[in-house]
Amino acid sequence: MSASEKAHRANGADAEASGSAGEPAAKPTGERPPEKRPFLLDFFPLEGEEATRLSRFYERLREGRLSTTRCRADGELHWPPRVACPRCHGEDLEWLDLPESGRIYAFSAVLGGAPLGMESDVPYAVGLIDLDGVPLRLFGRIEGRPWSALAIGDPVAVEPYDVGDGRVFYRFRALDA
Amino acid sequence: MSARAVALVGGVTTPFGVRPTTWAEMAQEIGAALFRAVPALRTEDVDSLFVGAAEPERFAFQSHVAPLVAEQMGLRPRRILQRTELACASGQSAIRSAYAAIAAGLSDVAVAVGVEKMNLPSMAEANTSMVCVMDRPWDGPGGATAPPFFAMVAQRHMREYGTTEEQLAAVSEKNHRFANANPHAQFHAKSFRREKLRGLPLVAPPLRLGDCSSMTDGAAAVVLVAEDRARAYTDTPAWIRGTGQYSDFHNLAHAGELSRWPGLTAAAGEAFRSAGVGPPDIDFAELHDCFSISEIVEYEAIGFCAPGEGGRFVEDGRSDLGGDVVVNPRGGLLGCGHPLGATGIAQAVEVHDQFARRVPAARQVPNPEWALVHNLSGSANVHSVMIYQGGRAA
Repeated sequence: MSASEKAHRANGADAEASGSAGEPAAKPTGERPPEKRPFLLDFFPLEGEEATRLSRFYERLREGRLSTTRCRADGELHWPPRVACPRCHGEDLEWLDLPESGRIYAFSAVLGGAPLGMESDVPYAVGLIDLDGVPLRLFGRIEGRPWSALAIGDPVAVEPYDVGDGRVFYRFRALDA
Repeated sequence: MSARAVALVGGVTTPFGVRPTTWAEMAQEIGAALFRAVPALRTEDVDSLFVGAAEPERFAFQSHVAPLVAEQMGLRPRRILQRTELACASGQSAIRSAYAAIAAGLSDVAVAVGVEKMNLPSMAEANTSMVCVMDRPWDGPGGATAPPFFAMVAQRHMREYGTTEEQLAAVSEKNHRFANANPHAQFHAKSFRREKLRGLPLVAPPLRLGDCSSMTDGAAAVVLVAEDRARAYTDTPAWIRGTGQYSDFHNLAHAGELSRWPGLTAAAGEAFRSAGVGPPDIDFAELHDCFSISEIVEYEAIGFCAPGEGGRFVEDGRSDLGGDVVVNPRGGLLGCGHPLGATGIAQAVEVHDQFARRVPAARQVPNPEWALVHNLSGSANVHSVMIYQGGRAA
């Protein structure tokens, strides 16, 4: 069984098509408060359908589901989600929910030298997380425990969160081993 | 390998550091310095200009920098004028482009210059710019600056091979010692003994301040010419004999096992094949020590030692004067600082100056013939390698 088949089995097929031409328009995301900082100084992307063909990713994240795309032609599982398959260059992709848990492959922390908007977060832990049951290793913040109390192999949960201005993103939360 | 052999016939750097000067002023400064360093070079000789600059839009709020630099340097390129952007490897990218143009017969005399002004009134703004090197909308929200990424490389290397913090400090101590013999280094005339390095604050555990290269302002330039022009400019040309480059990922999700860099093995392998030499032939190497752990992983990936032995390699002095290969006699990024676009050019300046026996005795490699230069970019996701030979005719 290929890795992508495993992912399929682990999560259940989801026949929803990705944002390709001709698809019914996704629901509008509604009014947003003004963004905190200018686009060129803001790490968080514009998430609405007027800005990205991957707006479904953020809509699903808002529903608590971390998801990505998979190519219907060759079964390739992508990260991050895409609009064209890097292997066969097909554009017929489907959305797939990802597991809600994983384990720490590597981690560190930012103890100084933070970018704009993150200075007050210091110290913050980051890591590469092997998601359970799929061949994906995702980078992100690790919350819930100081970096000095983390260890390689520790379990974490995927945690979608509200950025605070109407947008959403994902991070990880350390769980008790 | 190519239609024409290409020689690097001279080069120079500005002082590196926190400089009270602007981006464009440094372009003027390096122009003046270059024409002093290569006295036979006339402005009208230079038919092409390649400008390595990583983030002038971010650090200097300036685009379209190639003609800006030409004007600042007093040049009027008539064949090829372009900027090369490859983040931390923008400098070697400029050299590679000049090399390709000359080898193909499209240029006879080209200047490759790198300029970067990284120190801003707000360090958080500069850190923000560094995150943009990553896959910004995906890795940026997690706060993916360079230190935590390379810290994870160190963590995995320690776990898998038993590499120690003491061995990381050995890299930094060696390169700072060489930087003390380089008056243009950011950390010239500063003592960084191993015990002191081990006591500096953590930046991104397990990496401490002394394990990290710094935000640096600086510029560097080299002159590359076709084989028949080399002797007009120097008695000590550095001949480009091999190149290789490899990019295997960008998003951090695809960084693989971290502790090994197969992309560098591929790039170095291609460079060795094209030059017809191997790791034991290399007398000195300018390796991209953006972090102390980087140099250790690079020894292994290039083949100076076996996988997992990099920590012991530096601890045993095998990358120092008198060892197997002298690594970073310039002082490295750790000692000289890392003005992104200028770093790859400054590495090549060191190659020329070593072949010309023009560096202070404390860092002169005895009788060097072969040199390897490695410039990485981003999260070690692109590796650029060049091999030079000194002291020979075309």
